[in-house]
Amino acid sequence: MTTLVAIGAAAAVMTGIGAGIGIGIATSKATEAIAKQPSASGDINKALLLGCALAEATAIYGFVIAVLIILFLK
Amino acid sequence: MDNYTIECMVKGAKKVEGFASELMSQLESKVSFVIPIFNGISIATSVVITWGIMLFLVVLSKVLVRNLKMVPSGSQVYMEAAVGWLNNFFEDILGEEGKKYFPYLGTVAIYIGCANLIGVLGLTPPTKDLNVTAGLSIMSIFLIEYSGFKAKGFKGWVKSFAEPMIILAPINFLELFIRPLSLCMRLFGNVLGGFVVMELIKLVAPAIIPIPFSLYFDIFDGLIQTYVFVFLTSLFMKEKMEF
Repeated sequence: MTTLVAIGAAAAVMTGIGAGIGIGIATSKATEAIAKQPSASGDINKALLLGCALAEATAIYGFVIAVLIILFLK
Repeated sequence: MDNYTIECMVKGAKKVEGFASELMSQLESKVSFVIPIFNGISIATSVVITWGIMLFLVVLSKVLVRNLKMVPSGSQVYMEAAVGWLNNFFEDILGEEGKKYFPYLGTVAIYIGCANLIGVLGLTPPTKDLNVTAGLSIMSIFLIEYSGFKAKGFKGWVKSFAEPMIILAPINFLELFIRPLSLCMRLFGNVLGGFVVMELIKLVAPAIIPIPFSLYFDIFDGLIQTYVFVFLTSLFMKEKMEF
């Protein structure tokens, strides 16, 4: 049972892959955009932060689910 | 394997087990004390720490606004810069018509900022309690809907659920619940995640090494999450007010 719970929690944390890829792409595009137009860096930073927050949320959900699995299925 | 190796392994396993149970006990919201009326009202630690933060902020705002001058000097310069920065930040998103919401959003920003940073002092951050973040995000969704209601009236507010077309109405309705859930879980998960990682690092290396990580998880991440929370709240408000 403990093994299954651990495997379940690990599978839930796999959401981090998607978030990592998403934030990576967003940041690479933002750096490109700032390099092209340094004067717009303020607006670009804001959009980047919003995108990162939304992408990161998926990883956080995965983490919360993992914690819940460990807490409630113990 | 000789006896020593086995002993070490058993010790290690015990340590990890002890750590796991300690971590689990840390995750639960603790009760600080019980008010002995009506069968006892239990007060959670997060509430007590929130009272502390409130006291600190009230005293700070009383002390800082003593003898204000037209030409600022001393601490007034810093305070004006901070308040001006907050107001500019919200004005960029909400514009002139959202001016009446600035005080609430600014207060939430300052509170969440203090709550996330209080981990540096060794206290439990109130935002590590799911109830606190849930409360904050429920207040946020009420404010979001109220701002749409206020800006467009009841008819416009109902109509905004059928934007951009009527077929999306169920999705728009679901957003009423998804938005606070996501705001709540984002803040809670980040603070909790930082806390768990910090505990793991402290288990591996108790001295010196946790300091840079603490700078990241306690200070940088806490401030970023504060920013994201109020940023998203005001962005949703703007969306409700405009479309």
